Amino acid sequence: MAKNNFELIRPNAYVALRLPSDALIVVHLLPNTTISIGKYGNFQANHVIGRPFYLTFEVIDKTNISNTSQTALRVVPATELYADLRDEDATTPIETETGRTVKDQDGVEYDIVGEDGEVVMRTNRTIIDDPNSQIMTMDEIEEMKAQSIGSGKDLIAKILESHSALDQKTAFALAKYTLRKTKKYLKRFTIIPLDVSTLARWMFVEKEPMKTMELREEILSLIGSWSNVHCTPLHTPPLMSENIAKIGGGRWLVVDETAGLLVAYIAEKMGILHAPERPDQKLENALVLDQEHEAVKGEVVQDNTEANSSKIPTQNPLRPRKSSTLATTNTITLIHANAQPNLSLLKYFHFDAFNPSSLHPLERHLKILSWLQLVAPEDDACCTEPEHVSEEVLQGWKSGKRSNHFRKRRRWERMKSIVDETRAGGFDGLIIASVMNPVSILRHTVPLLRGAAQVVVYSPTIESLIELSDCYSTGRRTAFVQNPPDPGLMPTEDFPINPTLLLAPTIHTARCRSWQALPGRTHPLMTGRGGSEGYIFTATRVLPAEGKIEARGKFKRRKVDARRSTRASSSLAETPASVAGELIESDV
Amino acid sequence: MAISSSSQASPFLYCGKIAQSDSLAVLHLKRDLLIPVVLHSRDDLDEGYDEGKVTNTRFGSFPHSTLIGAPWGSQVRASAVDTGSRGRKGWEGSGRKGRKRKRDEQFHNERGTEKEANTDAQNGGILSKADVIRNQDTVATPKAAVEAASGFVHILPPTPEIWTASLPHRTQVVYTPDYSYILHRIRARPGTVLIEAGAGSGSFTHAAARAVYNGSSTAEQGESEFKGLDEDPYGKVYSFEFHEQRAQKLKDELQEHGLDNVVELTHRDVCQDGFIPFQTTPSDMNTNAIFLDLPAPWLALKHLTRGGPSSPLDPRTSIHLCTFSPCIEQVQRTITTLRQLGWLEIEMVEIAAKRIEVRRERVGLQEEGLRGANDSPASVDEAVARLREVEGRLRVFHEESAFDGKGLSPATAGAQVSKQQRLENIRNALEGRKLYKEGRLVHKPEPELKTHTSYLVFAVLPREWTEEDELGAQRLWPGTVDVPEQDTGPMSKRQRKKEAKIKAGGNKASEIEREGSSSKLEAI
Repeated sequence: MAKNNFELIRPNAYVALRLPSDALIVVHLLPNTTISIGKYGNFQANHVIGRPFYLTFEVIDKTNISNTSQTALRVVPATELYADLRDEDATTPIETETGRTVKDQDGVEYDIVGEDGEVVMRTNRTIIDDPNSQIMTMDEIEEMKAQSIGSGKDLIAKILESHSALDQKTAFALAKYTLRKTKKYLKRFTIIPLDVSTLARWMFVEKEPMKTMELREEILSLIGSWSNVHCTPLHTPPLMSENIAKIGGGRWLVVDETAGLLVAYIAEKMGILHAPERPDQKLENALVLDQEHEAVKGEVVQDNTEANSSKIPTQNPLRPRKSSTLATTNTITLIHANAQPNLSLLKYFHFDAFNPSSLHPLERHLKILSWLQLVAPEDDACCTEPEHVSEEVLQGWKSGKRSNHFRKRRRWERMKSIVDETRAGGFDGLIIASVMNPVSILRHTVPLLRGAAQVVVYSPTIESLIELSDCYSTGRRTAFVQNPPDPGLMPTEDFPINPTLLLAPTIHTARCRSWQALPGRTHPLMTGRGGSEGYIFTATRVLPAEGKIEARGKFKRRKVDARRSTRASSSLAETPASVAGELIESDV
Repeated sequence: MAISSSSQASPFLYCGKIAQSDSLAVLHLKRDLLIPVVLHSRDDLDEGYDEGKVTNTRFGSFPHSTLIGAPWGSQVRASAVDTGSRGRKGWEGSGRKGRKRKRDEQFHNERGTEKEANTDAQNGGILSKADVIRNQDTVATPKAAVEAASGFVHILPPTPEIWTASLPHRTQVVYTPDYSYILHRIRARPGTVLIEAGAGSGSFTHAAARAVYNGSSTAEQGESEFKGLDEDPYGKVYSFEFHEQRAQKLKDELQEHGLDNVVELTHRDVCQDGFIPFQTTPSDMNTNAIFLDLPAPWLALKHLTRGGPSSPLDPRTSIHLCTFSPCIEQVQRTITTLRQLGWLEIEMVEIAAKRIEVRRERVGLQEEGLRGANDSPASVDEAVARLREVEGRLRVFHEESAFDGKGLSPATAGAQVSKQQRLENIRNALEGRKLYKEGRLVHKPEPELKTHTSYLVFAVLPREWTEEDELGAQRLWPGTVDVPEQDTGPMSKRQRKKEAKIKAGGNKASEIEREGSSSKLEAI
């Protein structure tokens, strides 16, 4: 399923382009359009649609008969991309031999000389800093740029040629200089599929990291592992089936304030993010595709306009009525704090939360409700049942009114089933990325989890997680177990949240460090992206045993030791809290 | 009720509601002390416990009868199990855990019995009927477990993270932060076919199996939606290990964990013999992602090229690769080879992960004599007060000596508190204090830190693209076409303006922002 999406570039897809400057941009590949990539020129979308990903294209200017400037693209083979890295011996780029010959020719001095007199490396000791070493002026370069129709290679060659001190540069400096000019003038780009990995990177590095709570890729992947989110077998026996419709396994509860990045990631891990490619959309079938494609498009637009007024089940078999069936396994239940959830990033995966296409798996697998609907459904307008109208009355109504009535009922039914199912609990995991206080979120959501469900809370900064962690500290849990407050009085000041429901709370963080790995020039990158490190809090939902329970561990021996010690009498007077604190400590 | 590994889902993929017999469970003692246990309702080894099969831990003994049927995540009390007298009941071999004290005395005896056990097993590879009946007899009426006074564990279903933390180490383990990032970067999604070479202890194998599993293999007759529309392959892990013993051990584990239909493990040196398992046609593999945890990954790369009938790679997709090497020299050779073979997007990174510990730091004179706190003064005021007190005491002392040993002056003795008294007072005050709320909340990395695991090299091999393919694509998507005026139905004024803008300015550098709800939906 997901694989098909990444075989070839599909029309109407969102893709990422990496420019020579290493910047990522995201473009929408509408067929028959021209796509501009700033100073690097522009190209026809049709020239890349239907081609594989990860190819590097070079923009070539052409002028056709009608005198409108048209561009063509050329695929740059890997050998050409690596042409500058020919010194593949994995040793330092300046071999002693070549070094010596250069010396013989132009008498450049060397600093680092081996014991036997052979030159190890050329340095910049003799180079005089001179901003005028580049003979070409800015205007000249601009003029040449305007004239040039090539890929920019000739321009770069010219610039290098006109550098008066080029021969003095060390190999490292030369490589760097060439690279800098290449980044500036070479008209190339690489097309990268816009999957969650690329999207996360783009959002973090290029777009608006604040919008996604500065969620880094390495932290995102940690969330995925610790939440144990994965695709669940479809035919799992229902976990519970009182009153509510069947509830299967593989349900994750999500609070996402990263504009949908987290939901997208979870959906990708569950295999419900990418819409399966329809056989008639195979790129190989030329005309069929085009027609079909247009047809689908028209239909969708039509649907759009209909959506707000009436949503009668159309005759089209492809679009069953919306409230058809909600999935029972492999589902994401999203709780949001505003009137509408913010899932804007899902548009890159062709999912619109306000008007979901029934072809998209998320339509059935993503269940959305607000905090009000979860906590107090009776106060929510969407959750109150619309009046039941008898068949006769219905017949008397105008079609518009009738369909409106049905639409309302369907919306209510869908909402009600989502709310009932969510409140019934039994979720396999809880994943939170929210600016709200995590304690308040966990207070309402932890009871909805099944035993052994994983809890993961993300925060760009550590403070909120520390406070959360402190609510589950050993000491607090011990005090709670020994003197449990009246459940009706929870949350109390001492126990904002029941500390016995989560096991092994831990805060993790990870950081990815990138390296430059070029022959003889391997080192970590000099600069990186600062900002939030990103932390996750993980824990496991457990079911505490009924009644008093005592831990076993080092406890006994310690007590004996204490008794033997000189402070015997006073040791015994030590409060139970502190003794038990140690005792449970061994059990954490 | 027994889960046979091939027909039912693995507990790693779907664990059900309660712990079941013959499936893997994990006993959580402490965060870093997890014991994986396969639960058995019957004691096939006949270890001689009255309660049937029993697992002994630091925190007590747990008869499996108390664990089977417990909801996952529940706290289970230890039972009072007689671990001492089994030897006298003709108990033989294995499971020596609870008897450390006697080990030395019994060492010789045990060697004897072990030999016996071995010969037993050799004599009858299959248990004789009588044996089975005897076993059933003894097991059919195991004594009901009696709760012990103290001790408990939590019973958890296995996850790759728990398994990684608890697995028997055979080699260097790929830990959670590394494998998470790797699987994310090599695009291991449900449905991906992944090659893993250098399975080692199997931590990556388990995580990879979870990542690529797409439900298909157990849901053949199920909803069509997940099966895709054209014979979609199931997610699969082809795993290779060149150490025979390790390979066999891992194979057994995978079977025990019910993952043998997701993971196919082959004992093989991939550098020499390539990546095609026996009895597999290369064209059936269609690999999309590769993870190499080998001492010399560059030697294996020659088997991972496109073209030719013996390529294990999926001809239709890009191939994502990651190698995992601790040394920079390995990385350099790998990258050189990757470049020669036409891999693109070569990138090297390392992952530094840490866990953060949170505690309350209590400082102050009121902590004197208490454990886990710093009893130096918390502030200048406290320090000054303390110094004053000491000063006062000194003065009293001097006055007394001036008094010339005529006993304590009653006035000063009352004002002074002896150290013992002070400590006593502090201890008494402890009763009413809520230590978990006091002090300053602080955090720091946990003492054990992994500063380097390995360098990760990522690379991508794009789909092969020939002249003919390009011509075909050009026929399909002619580059120079007039944009046909599309009838897109009614449009809002705002939308019309936008469209006009787009037409005038071309597709702007970054993508065109379109409002979610009002935009034309793209066909997918």
